[in-house]
Amino acid sequence: MTLLSALGPGDPMIRVEGITKYYLGATVLDGVTLDIPSGSNLGLMGPGGAGKSLLLKIIAGLVEPDQGRVLVDGHDVGTLDAHKLAQLRFNIGMVFQNYALFDSMNVGENIAFPLRQRGGVPEEEIQARVREQLALVGLPGIAHQYPRELSGGMKKRVSFCRAVIPAPPLLFYDDPTAGLDPVTSSKIFIHLRRMQQDGGTTAITISHDIDGIKPICDRFALLDHGRLVFHGTRDEIEASDDRLVRQFWDGFSDD
Amino acid sequence: MSQPAQPGLAGRFLSAIGEPVVYTWREVTGVARMAALVFQYMLRGKIRWDAVAAQMYEIGNKSIVFITFTLGFLGMILVFQAGFQAEKITGDLQLLGALFLQILLREFAPTITALMIATRVGTGIAAEIGSMVVTEQVDAMRMNSAPPVEYLVVPRFIAGTIMMVVLVIYAVLVCYLAGMFTGLYAFNVNPHTFVNFAFVSVLDVAVCLVKALAYGMAIPLVASHTGLRTHGGSAGVGWATTQSVVSCSLSVVILDFILSGLSYPLLAAAG
Amino acid sequence: MISRGLAAIGGAFNGLAFDVGGVVMMLLKILRRCLPPRADGPETWANLYRVGVKSFPIVLVTAAFTGAIMVIQSGLYIKQYGAEGLLGWGAGYSILREVGPIMIGLMFSGRVGANNTAELGTMMVTDQIDALRALAIDPVSYLVIPRFIAMMIMLTLLVVVGDLTALVGGALTGEVLLGVDTRVYFESIVTLITLQDFLSGVYKAVAFGVAIAVISCHFGLTVRGGAVGVGRAVNNSVVASAIAIFVIDYFMTWAMQ
Repeated sequence: MTLLSALGPGDPMIRVEGITKYYLGATVLDGVTLDIPSGSNLGLMGPGGAGKSLLLKIIAGLVEPDQGRVLVDGHDVGTLDAHKLAQLRFNIGMVFQNYALFDSMNVGENIAFPLRQRGGVPEEEIQARVREQLALVGLPGIAHQYPRELSGGMKKRVSFCRAVIPAPPLLFYDDPTAGLDPVTSSKIFIHLRRMQQDGGTTAITISHDIDGIKPICDRFALLDHGRLVFHGTRDEIEASDDRLVRQFWDGFSDD
Repeated sequence: MSQPAQPGLAGRFLSAIGEPVVYTWREVTGVARMAALVFQYMLRGKIRWDAVAAQMYEIGNKSIVFITFTLGFLGMILVFQAGFQAEKITGDLQLLGALFLQILLREFAPTITALMIATRVGTGIAAEIGSMVVTEQVDAMRMNSAPPVEYLVVPRFIAGTIMMVVLVIYAVLVCYLAGMFTGLYAFNVNPHTFVNFAFVSVLDVAVCLVKALAYGMAIPLVASHTGLRTHGGSAGVGWATTQSVVSCSLSVVILDFILSGLSYPLLAAAG
Repeated sequence: MISRGLAAIGGAFNGLAFDVGGVVMMLLKILRRCLPPRADGPETWANLYRVGVKSFPIVLVTAAFTGAIMVIQSGLYIKQYGAEGLLGWGAGYSILREVGPIMIGLMFSGRVGANNTAELGTMMVTDQIDALRALAIDPVSYLVIPRFIAMMIMLTLLVVVGDLTALVGGALTGEVLLGVDTRVYFESIVTLITLQDFLSGVYKAVAFGVAIAVISCHFGLTVRGGAVGVGRAVNNSVVASAIAIFVIDYFMTWAMQ
């Protein structure tokens, strides 16, 4: 059913090679190259408009880059046919910035959607897993409600459930705590950390909340105006003396 | 690399003409490609009938009041104009109803209904799909291997095509009745005289239905295509919605021209 | 069940009353500010230019096709009775009095009216209108009046130009498809069409312009609820404009027989 891995020994789970993207005459991503080893969680940081969400969408194959290529699990995302791309995406769970819950479906149907799309899961099991996921994020019994009836934090958590319910080996989080109050965001980060400890998923987390992602990520990257300013492990970022890196990591501005 | 030279008057003139042509060409090929995709999914039997039913309600039932209003007034307007015109030349109003029904079937009922649907449903579809694009719901579908064309466009296409035919038949009825009452009250034409099917041939009914079918297929496709190309927040949704009315209305007018032109030799030979 | 049905009907009438009242109020607000005519000059010029440029190509294309279609439709009767000399009159009469203003009005509503609602609506949801109020600038004087003037004048001019384009489009179709000589076509227009036929279409255009401007501004300035709200407002605005066009057309046809 799922696409066979095409990774050689020692290859990274995700390899981004020289990704460049132009939009309305401006260069929004400029030759971004980075590797994400299997089982690690990359924290992607950067000021607003730096191209973080766009990079994530290019990795997921939702947006085509103008130059460069992306290898996910050893497959070149840009050259896969529709069927194989669909297979590859079954391995990816994604939390979108704007929740992206389907307005026309209730919470239960939204969360069950990925399982129903993949097929082969009996209906009772789907229901059980939906209930289990909702209980895990602290929202039991809202399966019959519609997204328009939920608050921002609740929508975020529901979209979280929808991303993780098929237990995909790859997880992309696009700003999972944007616009949330500190209490809700800390709950979400605790949940993320628990997921990370549970199994060998490979993840990318975009966030402005540096303190939130420090404990859950083991690698970090910093984008600024479409260019990769920094990319490395925790030790490397703590040792870096780049001015922007220091501003982001230490959370202060010296100007 | 030197700066490109500022285009002269001739250059600007050419680009003013070329830009809409290139844009239109891209739109037309995009819609054609989407149509091919829609038929592919339909042939593979990937039709979600519950979504089709919901769209039929949205497109058809919710348009009835609007169509009644606009086409009713159109019936009154057309009979008024035709009556004045006839009074001026011959003073003979015997054939008013018969001729009215004929031109209603051939031209006004399908085309004006389609323009009204382009207005109401064309904007509705583009606004709905456009909002789904800017809130990333379409991306979420693609990530779960639910192709947006299969999930969003196919049901709207089927529902739009069926409902357009139904609405056009309803519109003929409304328009004709409104015209009949105008004939009675404004020109004293007895309904017995007004209701006269002498001029209506099978060909006229066929032209009416073929036009309805063509508009019914074109409007959901053009509107969905515009909606899926939305980008950039609430301004983007506004753009898509506006663009959709114009593109849908224009495709109705152009299809009307083509179909009227094609049917002309047939109708002329029969009449 | 019954009470829910009643609530739905009541809600629909409530909404209708709100919009009808809102449109009338908008018209009154505009008229009051027009009494000593004062409008922001540069803003009005900018709007005239934008409205004209935005809708000119689409109106010309629509008009040309409309003329062609009307000639095809009247051609069927003309051929039947062998009265080729009446083609120009038959098509021209319907184009000038009725079909021209209606088609151009509908296109104008789709292009300019919808765009206006979307623009004002986006300003509403991004709090730009409140920002104007905070600066003690009256949104009606600053935003609505220039648009109102621009739409009224431009639709009138566009119908004049569109009428001519439609007649030319009709002439070409008559020549190519029906084999009616262009000179015969225009002769019948010149001898049989009266100034009144042409003017009654132009009067309609003025009224349509006023209606589209008032309706599109009302729906734009009452937008609630983000991107979805803007889409819904545009939808309502074009629907209301279409209804207004047919209702106004009916009464003007009746009054100008």
